[in-house]
Amino acid sequence: MIHRKDRRDRTDRLGAPVRAENYIASSPPGWQGQLGGCGIASLISLKGERIGGERITRMLTIMEERENGLGAGYACYGLFPDRSDQYCLQFFFDDEEGKRNVEDFLQGRLDIMHDEVVFIKERSTISPPYPIVWRYFVDVPENRVWRGDRDLGEEDYLVEIVQHINANVPNAFCVSSGKDMAVFKGNGYSYEIADLYDLDRYSGTMWLSHSRFPTNSPAWWAGAHPLSLLDWGVCHNGEITSYGVNRKLVEMNGYRCTVLTDTEVVTYLWDLLVRRNRLPIEVAAFVMAPSTYQEICLLPPAERRLAEWLRITYKEAFLNGPFSIIVGRSRPETTLIALADRKKLRPMIAGLSPDDGVAYCASEESAIRIVEPDARTWAPGAGNPFIAVAGKGVLRRGTEPSFQGVRV
Amino acid sequence: MIDAPSSRRLDHRLPERFMPTINYDLCRVCRRCVNECSYQALEFKESRVVPSGGCVACGRCIAVCPANCIEVRPVPPQFAPHGNWSERSRRSILAQASSGGVLLSSCGADDTHPPIFDDLLLDAAQVTNPSIDPLREPVETITYLGRRPGRLEVCDGKVIVQEDDTPLIRMDMPLMFGHISLGSISYNAQKALFMAANELRIVAGSGEGGLHPDFYQYADRICSEVASGRFGIKPEYLKGVAAVEIKIGQGAKPGHGGHLPGEKVTTMISETRMIPRGTDALSPYPHHDIYSIEDLAQLVSVLKESTEYRLPVGVKIAAVHNVGAIASGLVRAGADFLTVDGFKGGTGAAPRVIRDHAGLPVEVAIAAVDRRLTQEGLRNRVTVCAGGGVRSSADMIKALALGADVVMVSTSAMIAMGCRVCQQCHRGLCSWGIATQRDDLTSRLDPQVAAARIVRLYRAWNEELKEVMGAMGIDSVESLVGNRDRLRYRGPNPKIAEVMNVKHIGEGWG
Amino acid sequence: MKYVCRPKGHAHDCDCGKDSMSVVGDRAVIDLSLSATQPMHYTTLNCAMRKAMRQGCLSIELKGVMGQRYLASTASVPGLHVAVHGTPGNDLGAFLNGPTIEVFGNAQDMTGNTMNSGRIIVHGNAWDVTGLAARGGQILVKGDTGYRVGIHMKEFGESRPTTVIGGTAKDYLGEYMAGGTILVLGLGGGPPVGRSLGAGMHGGRIFVRGEVSPEQLGPGAALLPLNEDDEREVRRLLGDFIKAFGTEVHQDMNGYVKIAPSSSRPFSGYYDKTNV
Ligand code: SF4
Ligand code: SF4
Repeated sequence: MIHRKDRRDRTDRLGAPVRAENYIASSPPGWQGQLGGCGIASLISLKGERIGGERITRMLTIMEERENGLGAGYACYGLFPDRSDQYCLQFFFDDEEGKRNVEDFLQGRLDIMHDEVVFIKERSTISPPYPIVWRYFVDVPENRVWRGDRDLGEEDYLVEIVQHINANVPNAFCVSSGKDMAVFKGNGYSYEIADLYDLDRYSGTMWLSHSRFPTNSPAWWAGAHPLSLLDWGVCHNGEITSYGVNRKLVEMNGYRCTVLTDTEVVTYLWDLLVRRNRLPIEVAAFVMAPSTYQEICLLPPAERRLAEWLRITYKEAFLNGPFSIIVGRSRPETTLIALADRKKLRPMIAGLSPDDGVAYCASEESAIRIVEPDARTWAPGAGNPFIAVAGKGVLRRGTEPSFQGVRV
Repeated sequence: MIDAPSSRRLDHRLPERFMPTINYDLCRVCRRCVNECSYQALEFKESRVVPSGGCVACGRCIAVCPANCIEVRPVPPQFAPHGNWSERSRRSILAQASSGGVLLSSCGADDTHPPIFDDLLLDAAQVTNPSIDPLREPVETITYLGRRPGRLEVCDGKVIVQEDDTPLIRMDMPLMFGHISLGSISYNAQKALFMAANELRIVAGSGEGGLHPDFYQYADRICSEVASGRFGIKPEYLKGVAAVEIKIGQGAKPGHGGHLPGEKVTTMISETRMIPRGTDALSPYPHHDIYSIEDLAQLVSVLKESTEYRLPVGVKIAAVHNVGAIASGLVRAGADFLTVDGFKGGTGAAPRVIRDHAGLPVEVAIAAVDRRLTQEGLRNRVTVCAGGGVRSSADMIKALALGADVVMVSTSAMIAMGCRVCQQCHRGLCSWGIATQRDDLTSRLDPQVAAARIVRLYRAWNEELKEVMGAMGIDSVESLVGNRDRLRYRGPNPKIAEVMNVKHIGEGWG
Repeated sequence: MKYVCRPKGHAHDCDCGKDSMSVVGDRAVIDLSLSATQPMHYTTLNCAMRKAMRQGCLSIELKGVMGQRYLASTASVPGLHVAVHGTPGNDLGAFLNGPTIEVFGNAQDMTGNTMNSGRIIVHGNAWDVTGLAARGGQILVKGDTGYRVGIHMKEFGESRPTTVIGGTAKDYLGEYMAGGTILVLGLGGGPPVGRSLGAGMHGGRIFVRGEVSPEQLGPGAALLPLNEDDEREVRRLLGDFIKAFGTEVHQDMNGYVKIAPSSSRPFSGYYDKTNV
């Protein structure tokens, strides 16, 4: 049992008291979101093979200069081959009560097929309190009703459940809710988090990771990256200057913002544009980081029309300001997407192993070289998505013309 | 009728408000000021120019004096000071006791309601994101006006664009000229506005007085207004233009109809409006085919049918207290764009009591509309235009950040042409040739020169917009629209910040 | 130019009128009872009518109309005759610009809204706000009309709208009237006009056959006898009416009164322009 009152004053690695407060599932009082810089790294096995957690840990921790110990996290895809058809809801609980609250709420709403504790080292360099991390493998029942609506699709229903828990159920936060994936994150340096969860014990076909440099405390475990909804996992470096506008669009479409960061909104945007509005990934990427109208004028007529209408229709989805993001999903295929803003104000390097077996994306080349000394690396263009699919290869290097491969 | 015999009547003459003062040491007695003063406030007497009363501070004499020797001085208070009974309140009472009339005025509300714009501060990028230099990197201000589809359909991975369904107008900046009718302003003034809109590649409102045949050459930059008076509405007026807008209300006089005093109804106006010469041109207070929201839907539909769905059809309303809910009704009634006109908006003639006391400041109205439409999931279906008291590029930027896609300006364009906001438009004597139909006065305004001044003004504003966006780290205007996070309130009443959903200064982001 | 049926989202040549329209020479017949979707939507019907006009039809006959709105709005084909059987919806012939529309039945509200030229002949009643802001052309109603008919009619030069009402009109007839002529015959009994007659009128004229008391007048309207020009105009309008409906009407000019503006600036003294 963990109680808030157990908390003691702590110091960070530099000996300075940076964390006056440490919050896990419940958000800090008066939470209004947080800014920060970051490091991101990811890898995907193009052959669909499983890669151990130590590899991504090395990638991320080499970029230690990019973080300040106030949050790091990992997402692993292809993690549960035996239960890949069930949704894995992974939670942070402040205490046993949070767990009870969630279980009471899930009762009758989802069919829990299996649940288990997520391993956390008892002793770690991160000072307690630690959350209780628990996962539930669930099926969505056939006859489901959410607020009188019987026609919600399985995924929309799950989105409602997860968002309701995060907004309303005390002492609990659902950190990931997709199939065949889970998120491991918390408040500490990248290597501390890897150590805390003992990532070496896991392996998967794709990993995303993130370490952060927020400008301020308090630290909130649930607010660390990756942020996730369904199988979407998003790591984000930068600051979206259009946050207020983007947030309006997702809220208009029924998403509830609880973490209050731009990354959360980016996560919902991917879900909205690609899963719900069914835009192809390249098109969604264009929407988020569009070409200027001047560039659009130079496109062939059909593409030009598409580009204009994308900008007009989805102008609230335009992510302005500097960002580079790494996005993962497990359905329909395990896919890695990397995208930088249209002026390429945040770093992003892509790489491929010599045998074309593994693709990488990271903030710095060093993150790739440390695990793949002979990788071939390149820089995806501004606003130009990199897309790789497990079992298929790199579908887009991020250097192609805007709508290459898109049927217009 | 109670009235005293004329022998016992005292003419309660009001003190002058302004006094043109001439430095006789410098005056060359050229008499230009006397000739130019359309209010006849100067006369030539005993070998010099002297004030003859009735100066309205239109500033014409100052501009034409070759010796630069005229000053127009406000006359200091003439009545015993009183904290409650202002000079104006007493003047108004005296005037109305003499005339029994409804006090008429023009331009926007001039009472001292402090603009909320002045209580808002803009954000800028520091460290956590970079600012952008608009002179060296692209910062986009292209804006579309009209209905948006909300989402694009995707069929087998193919994105379907049905361009034909959603007519939109492309503009180079998030700006439009408000509706100023031919009649309220002169042919030359309206021509200047249309020429400027054409050059700036934005849209100008036609006003409710119909379109002069000469102006159809600018038709693809003109938004035709369908007001309750239905002046000048013929097939070309609906079909041949860029957009059609139904005017329900005007910020300066919500709930009130149009009024063009008979002095301004010349033969030309009589022809474009189809009303008798010299008569007061009245627009009914409501549209007599709109008594309810479903009737508005009907007028929107008939205009869409009539234009064969080729033009965006918008609705303009005055900002009133329930503006959010009304706006959502307009969208549901089929409006492709809506215009919200704030209570400081201008007018060519309006009763003072309405101009100065009815309506809602546009700042609050924009935020309310943006928020309500967002809550109802309609915000990404329409274009929201707003104006009424936008005095500078700073006001324009704040209006955009509060949630307007397009900012409507009128008075500033008139000032660019020469208007000094003397608030005499309703008298039809405008010495600058703008708000008048008198040939000798209208000929003072060269449309070419006036258009060039308007173009320069708004090009400069647009550059200032880019500067601010660049400072905020925003490189395209759509990411500014409704981005209330980038505003802070520093005024006297935090409740205003709360209803506008703007944080108070000192409140950070995290 | 490719014509498309925009409101329905067809981005191709549409099917509107395919099952219900037949064109022989320059005559089109649209039988709404043959439409697969009952009742046919107004967008479909208007789209079909526009097709007929584009094909050069000079006669369009609509059968089985039931509340479809905006029929022939902005239609501009000179010499076109549209026959409407059934009950047309609101805003029939709005912004009409030349053609003749003949309704065999009653018309609903706002018939001839802001019409520019042409004729609308209603062999029945036409309800509220008929002829709003008309700028020219003629509206002939055999039966009764509703409230607020002929509001803000205008005229200039040749363009001079006229409205003849065979039966009665209710309150606010000719409010804000700035031009044009309204003639009310009061056939079939009942008071020919209601209250607030010609309220705020500053142009145009209203002729009424029958009694009008001063209490019925709105502000700005005055009750006058007919002069010779007026009588000529009434006779001419009676001629139009008789020709359209074939009914006989007494041509005795003694039974008529005229309502005209008391001044061209009814509210000029209402405002105080002092610079306070
Ligand atoms: S315009 Fe100037 S110089 Fe000429 S008369 Fe007037 S005050 Fe004197
Ligand atoms: S337009 Fe003319 S009359 Fe009206 S305020 Fe401006 S200067 Fe004065």
